[in-house]
Amino acid sequence: MKVIFNIRRFDGEKDYWQSFAVPVFRGMTLLEGLFYIKENLDGSLAFRASCRMGVCGSCAVKVNGKPVLACETQISSVNSSKLDIEPIDNFRVIKDLVTDFEGFFRKHEAVKPYLIRNDDNYENPVELIQTPKQMKSYYTFSLCIKCGACYSVCPAAATRSDYLGPAAITAAWRFIADSRDEGKEERYEAVCGDNGVWRCHFAAECSEVCPKKVEPAKAVQKMRIRTALHAIKKVIL
Amino acid sequence: MSVADWFRVRGRSLQSISFSLHRLTGLVLFIYLLMHLSYLTSLKLGKEVYESLIATTVSPAFLPFDILLLLATIFHGVNGIRVVLNEFGIGYEARKAMLYAAYLITAILWIIASVAMYNFVVGVR
Amino acid sequence: MDELEGMHTRRVLEPAAWILQMVSGLLLAALIAIHLYVTHFSTHDALAYENVVERFRDAGFKAIYTLLLLAVTFHAFNGVRAIVLDTDFGAKNRRAVNWLLMLLFVAAFAYGILLMSSV
Repeated sequence: MKVIFNIRRFDGEKDYWQSFAVPVFRGMTLLEGLFYIKENLDGSLAFRASCRMGVCGSCAVKVNGKPVLACETQISSVNSSKLDIEPIDNFRVIKDLVTDFEGFFRKHEAVKPYLIRNDDNYENPVELIQTPKQMKSYYTFSLCIKCGACYSVCPAAATRSDYLGPAAITAAWRFIADSRDEGKEERYEAVCGDNGVWRCHFAAECSEVCPKKVEPAKAVQKMRIRTALHAIKKVIL
Repeated sequence: MSVADWFRVRGRSLQSISFSLHRLTGLVLFIYLLMHLSYLTSLKLGKEVYESLIATTVSPAFLPFDILLLLATIFHGVNGIRVVLNEFGIGYEARKAMLYAAYLITAILWIIASVAMYNFVVGVR
Repeated sequence: MDELEGMHTRRVLEPAAWILQMVSGLLLAALIAIHLYVTHFSTHDALAYENVVERFRDAGFKAIYTLLLLAVTFHAFNGVRAIVLDTDFGAKNRRAVNWLLMLLFVAAFAYGILLMSSV
């Protein structure tokens, strides 16, 4: 059986669509299809992939309008004999399916996605104890693999290039919800600007497309309520 | 990167489409609010001016617009309550059920209100 | 990244505007339902000139209409502000957008109040 891979390509100057007929076997993934094209039909096709097991977050592409991880999506599961494959939206396209993640990662950095402690002591390190319940409160949000799927469907990120986006705000919430963290203040400040949490209007598509079910929409709402209370408390007190 | 991206449909779930419709109806209602406030100025211009405006706008010819405006208002209101609850962190896990409920309630209220509007405009005077 | 720099400033406008947008939205759901009931679904001559003027002079209606006017003008202009700020154009002209739309909100509210009290 053959499936048509209709790929939106970009060579640095112009956009164009190109179709490839790919022989498909049972259980074959989209990524294997892309490799088939690169190895047998057109070696100039560019796409990004690394781990092939849904961990590295490199291979998000848009298939028939919806962003998915190419490595974790079986061709048969898309249920179509013709697949429109495009680079994910809201990112600058470098070549074919490869997009520029520089800004996305800078936004991630901006929320300080690491444990902040006041008692850092590298000479005599101490264990930071946490109950299973405390861990459960942020665990889901820590599963993000930074694939950019959520950011690519966010209507606010589509029109405002400096919006932090669902992934970065979720990372901020992941640490705020962590009982060991002591950097809450800095993170509230980071998301409180008008390029932060206020740009979310709960289209909630981020939660729909997240391949790791991280529930970014939930994290952004929690982050926003806390940030609002924090900002207002700051003015009153 | 254009405002057309707010109204993307392909590959999107009902969640996104509701956002698009909310924004669209919001803009429609914004324009209507400006019109509404403006034509209330006629109250100051005297009874004749006001009543001639009412006679034109509250008429069978305007009924389709009224009913569409009702739909925009009811959708924006009902969907808005859903969004407010979700944004305040209430019912995230039930967001799909709330979404379907919002459409159902919108449809029911719209039918009831449209019948009432029809009776008001066309019915016995 | 230059565009990320402004975010360290503490602002109360955004959090307050967000909460008020939600609260005014809930209020409007109730107030507009009342408004539509009174004007279109109660009696057939609810929109007659005398009845409108009479409602504007009634203390209870005046209170409800004032609250409705306040909520609807805030919700509308702040909603447009949020939409404009969702774009790069809004981000570049943030201060102008904030001032202009808040000014328009106050102007529309004042216009409504003046109209109500002078009829």
